[in-house]
Amino acid sequence: MIEIRSVTKRFGSFTAVNGVSLDVAEGEFLTLLGPSGCGKTTLLRMLSGFETPTSGTLRIDGEDVTYLAPYRRNVNQVFQSYALFPHLSVAENIAFGLKMQKVPAPELARRVDEVVELVALKGFASRRPDELSGGQRQRVALARAIVPRPKVLLLDEPLSALDAKLRQQMQLELKRLQKHLGMTFVFVTHDQEEALTMSDRIAVFNQGRVEQVGSANEIYHQPKTAFVADFIGEANLLTAEAMARDGRAVRLRVEGGLELEIPAERWPAGWTRAVVSLRPEKILVSKRPLEAESVFTAHVMDELFQGALDRLHLQTDSGARLTALVANESALREAIHAGDVVWCGVHADDLAVVGPA
Amino acid sequence: MIPLPGSRVIVLLLAVLGLALAPLRAANKEINLFAWSEYFPQSVLEGFTKETGIRINYETFASGEEMLAKLLAGGTAYDLVQPPDYIAEALIKNRLLLPLDYAKLPGVKNILPEYLNMAHDPEQRYTLPYMASTVGIVVNTERVKEPVTGLVDLFSERHAGRIVVVDDARELVTAALYVLGHPLNEINAKNLAEARPLLAQWMKRIKLYDSDSPKTALLNGDVDLGYVWGGEAARLWAENPKFAYVIPKEGAHQFVDVMAIPQGAKNVEAAHRFLAYLLRPEVSKAISDEFPYTNPNGAARKLLSPAQLSNPASYPPGNPKFGTFRHLGETGAMIDELITDLKNAR
Amino acid sequence: MHALADTAPAHSSGRRAGVVAWLLLAPLALWLVLFVVVPMLGLLVYSFCQRDDLGRVVYAFSWENYARVFDPIYLKILGRSIGYAALTTVLCVAIGYPVAWYIARQRSPLRERLLLLVMIPFWTSFLIRTYAWIAILKSEGLLNGLLQFSGVITAPLSLLYTPTAVVIGLVYAYLPFMILPIYGSAEKLDNALVEAAHDLGAGPIRAFSHVIIPLTWPGIAAGIMLEFVPAIGMFAITDLMGGAQVPLIGNVIQNQFFRARNAPFGAALGVVFTLMFILTYALAHRRRRAAAA
Repeated sequence: MIEIRSVTKRFGSFTAVNGVSLDVAEGEFLTLLGPSGCGKTTLLRMLSGFETPTSGTLRIDGEDVTYLAPYRRNVNQVFQSYALFPHLSVAENIAFGLKMQKVPAPELARRVDEVVELVALKGFASRRPDELSGGQRQRVALARAIVPRPKVLLLDEPLSALDAKLRQQMQLELKRLQKHLGMTFVFVTHDQEEALTMSDRIAVFNQGRVEQVGSANEIYHQPKTAFVADFIGEANLLTAEAMARDGRAVRLRVEGGLELEIPAERWPAGWTRAVVSLRPEKILVSKRPLEAESVFTAHVMDELFQGALDRLHLQTDSGARLTALVANESALREAIHAGDVVWCGVHADDLAVVGPA
Repeated sequence: MIPLPGSRVIVLLLAVLGLALAPLRAANKEINLFAWSEYFPQSVLEGFTKETGIRINYETFASGEEMLAKLLAGGTAYDLVQPPDYIAEALIKNRLLLPLDYAKLPGVKNILPEYLNMAHDPEQRYTLPYMASTVGIVVNTERVKEPVTGLVDLFSERHAGRIVVVDDARELVTAALYVLGHPLNEINAKNLAEARPLLAQWMKRIKLYDSDSPKTALLNGDVDLGYVWGGEAARLWAENPKFAYVIPKEGAHQFVDVMAIPQGAKNVEAAHRFLAYLLRPEVSKAISDEFPYTNPNGAARKLLSPAQLSNPASYPPGNPKFGTFRHLGETGAMIDELITDLKNAR
Repeated sequence: MHALADTAPAHSSGRRAGVVAWLLLAPLALWLVLFVVVPMLGLLVYSFCQRDDLGRVVYAFSWENYARVFDPIYLKILGRSIGYAALTTVLCVAIGYPVAWYIARQRSPLRERLLLLVMIPFWTSFLIRTYAWIAILKSEGLLNGLLQFSGVITAPLSLLYTPTAVVIGLVYAYLPFMILPIYGSAEKLDNALVEAAHDLGAGPIRAFSHVIIPLTWPGIAAGIMLEFVPAIGMFAITDLMGGAQVPLIGNVIQNQFFRARNAPFGAALGVVFTLMFILTYALAHRRRRAAAA
C-alpha cells in the first residue's frame, strides 16, 4: 500500500529524515515509534503531503505522491491537537471531507450518521467541539478522518492528550476499529507501551533513521540495536566476550566476570566481543537455588517498590551490576530485601546481541 | 472642616497652583487675541510685547462663522476679536461688543475716510478696520488664453473642471445674484429660486472648494482659474504675475476685517494699547509687507513701495465700486441649504 | 456551623473583589460618562432646540430639526456617505487581509518588524500624511511626474479632487485599523486547522472560504467596526483630497456647527446618525447570537 524509498528531508542544515525506506502492507497497523525529534512526525507529514521530501520517492497504492498536494491525496490524518474546526458542529466537522468531495446530501447524511454511531457520538452531532470532553473530541477527529474512506489513515500521537485510563481504552477501540474497517493505519507515537499494544509492526526511529522494523514481539525480545533495546522497555546492556563455544551455545563473560550463555545462532559469526541486552524482568530471582542455563548469586543492593513490580538493584559476586524486576507478591512471600543474598537465573533465549562492543 | 489627610494636600496643591497662575492672571499683562489665521506677522506681535511687556495669546479661526460660533460658545475670555464686517454688524446688533475709547486711539486719523462709519458700524463706536479685501477672479494667463472679464466668462463650459472657488455658500450665491442683476444682500426665496439653475450649472464645472488656501491648487497647477479672496490673489501675483486678478464686471464686493473688544473682555486697557499700536503707519506697513491685503491705513499706504501699490489684487486699478455684505439673520440658513443641495445633486 | 464558617469569608472576599473591580473600572466609567454620555445628552437636548439669528441655541422645544433630517437632501448624503464607507471597507479588507495574513505567518523577529511598519504612519500627524497624498496626487505631483517620465501617459491625469482621491485617502487612513485586528485573529489561527482542511480535500480556495475566513471573522468584524462607522463620519479627507465637491454626512454636520451655525440641526443629524448605528449594531449582534444558538 505504501512504499517509501530512500526518503530524506532536510530543514536547512538539520536532517530530520535520513534515507528511510519502508513498506506498509494493505490493512496493516504500522507504528512509527521514537523519541521526539527522531523524524517520525516528519515522515508522517510527508505521507500526508504537508512536507515534501528533499530526495527519495513516496508511493501510495502504486501512485507516486512525492510531490502531490495534500488535498489531492487519498489519505487522511488524525492530528495530535485534533484540529477540529471550532466554528463547525460535530456533524459538520465530520461531513467536511465528504462535502469537499461533493458527495450528494442524502449519502453524506447517511455516511455521517453511520460513522457517528461507529465512534459512539450519537446525540452529540449538533454540539460544538468546545462543548466536548477530550475523549469525545478525539473520536470526532477520528470520525472526520475515516468518513471519506481514505486508503491510508495517518495518526499523529492522537492519544497523547488523554489521561492514562482513557488512553488505554482508546488504544483498544482504535485497534478494534482498524480491524473492522480493514484500513491501513500509520500511527506515530513516542509511547512504546502504546506501540506494543496496538501495532502489527513497529518501525523504531532514531535520529532520522529506522533502527529496526518488526512485530512487537521481535522488537521487544530481539532488539537489534542498543537503542531499540533501551528505548523499548528496559534493558541491562552488558559488554560481553565470547569464551567458549559448543554446538548449541556460546559461553560469554561479561564485564565484572559474570558468565552467561547465549544460543549459538544469535552470536554473530567471527565476533569475539559484543553488547548484549538482558531485560530486567527476565532475570529470575529467588532465595532458593533455581534452574536456568546461567545461574549465579547476587547481593540485593536496594529495593524500589513500584506497585505491581519490585525493582531490585543487584550486584553479583563477580562485581557486575544488574537491574531486575520481580512481581512484588513473590517479593512479599519470599521477602527479598536490601542486603539479602539471592539466587539469579538467566535463560539463554533471553539474551540478545544489540551491537559490537 | 473635617481633618481628612487628603484635603490638606488638596489645599496645598491649590495654593501652589494659585501662585503659579498669579502672574498670568494679573490684569492687562496679556491679551487673548482671536483672529484669522495667517493675518498677523510674528514680528508685529513680538514688537508689541517687547515695547509693553504685554503677552499676546494668538488663537486663530478660518471663517467668520467659526469665530462667531466659538465666541458665542464662551470658554476663553477673548480681549480682542477680528470679525469680518457683516459678523461685526451682527455682534453690534446683539450688544456683544464693548464700545471703543477712541480717545486712546489717536491713530484713527490715519484711516482713510471711506473705511470709517461703514454700514456695519455707522457711528464708528465699536470697531477699527484692520485690512480690507475684495473677492475676485484669478486667471493663470499661461494656461488660459481667452480673456476672462467676469463671472459668466469664469464659469463658462470651456473652463469646466479647472476652477477653484472659496468654500463659502454666501460668496457663491452672491456671484449668482450679481450675474442676475440682484442686489447682493437681497437674499429671499424668489431670488434664490432664480439663482438655483445658474448655480447648478456652475457647480458642475467647479473642481475644488477651498477657503483656507485656494492659492495652493492654483500654484500646484491642479486648476487654472479661481474665485478667491483678494489677499490670496495678491500673494499669487507677487509670486508670479502670470496669475492675473480680475474684478468681475458683473459686480464685486469688498469686505473689511475689523478689530473689536467683545463683552466680557478682561484686559480692555491692554487691548486698547494694542489697537493704538496697530494704527501706527510703520506697524500697519509691516503687516502689508507680509499679507498684501488692501490697507485702509492711509499713512501706512504712503510707506508702501510702488510695486506693492501696483498689485492689482491689493489695490484694484480704476477705483471700481464695491458692495458690502450685511448681516443676514434667518435667511442665512436658506443659502446653506441651497448650496448643500446643489453640491449633493452632482 | 462548619458550613457557615466556611462560606462567610468566601462571601465577603467576593464582595471585596466586586469593589476592586469597580475601582479598576472607575477611570473608564468616568471617562465614558464625561466624554460620551454627557456630550450625547447635550446633543440630544440641543437637537430639540431652536437657534436665533446669530446661531445661539434657544431652549424652546421643536421637532423641526428632525423633520429636516429626513429631507431627501440629507438622506441622500447619508446614503452616499455609507456608500463611500462601504467601498472603503471592502477595499481595506481586500488589501488588508492578505497583508495581515502574510505578517501573521512570519517568524518572530520579522513579524514584529512588519507590524511596526504598519504602525509607523501613526507617528506622524494625520493631516501631514494627508498633505503628503496631495503632493503625490496633484497635477504636477510625484505620481503624474513618474507616469509621464516613464512614458505611460503624455498629459497629467486628474487625480486630486476626485472621488477616487477621496477613496484613496480613506483607504489609506483606515487600512491599519483593518490590518491590526485581522492580524490578531490570523496569528491565533492554529496552522493545523488549515492543514486539516487541506487534508480533507479542500484546495487553497475552499480552505480559505470554509475555514480561514470563518475563523478570522472576529478580526474582520472588529476591523469593520473600527473603520466603517468612523469612515462614514470622516470630513477632513473629503475637504482636503476631494476638494469639498461632494458633501458627506461628516462635512454636513461639521458645517452645521461652524459655518451654518445651526447647532440644533447639527445635533439632530448627529443623534439620528448615532441611533442608526446603535440600532444596526444591536441587530447584527442579535443575528449573530441567533446564529450561534
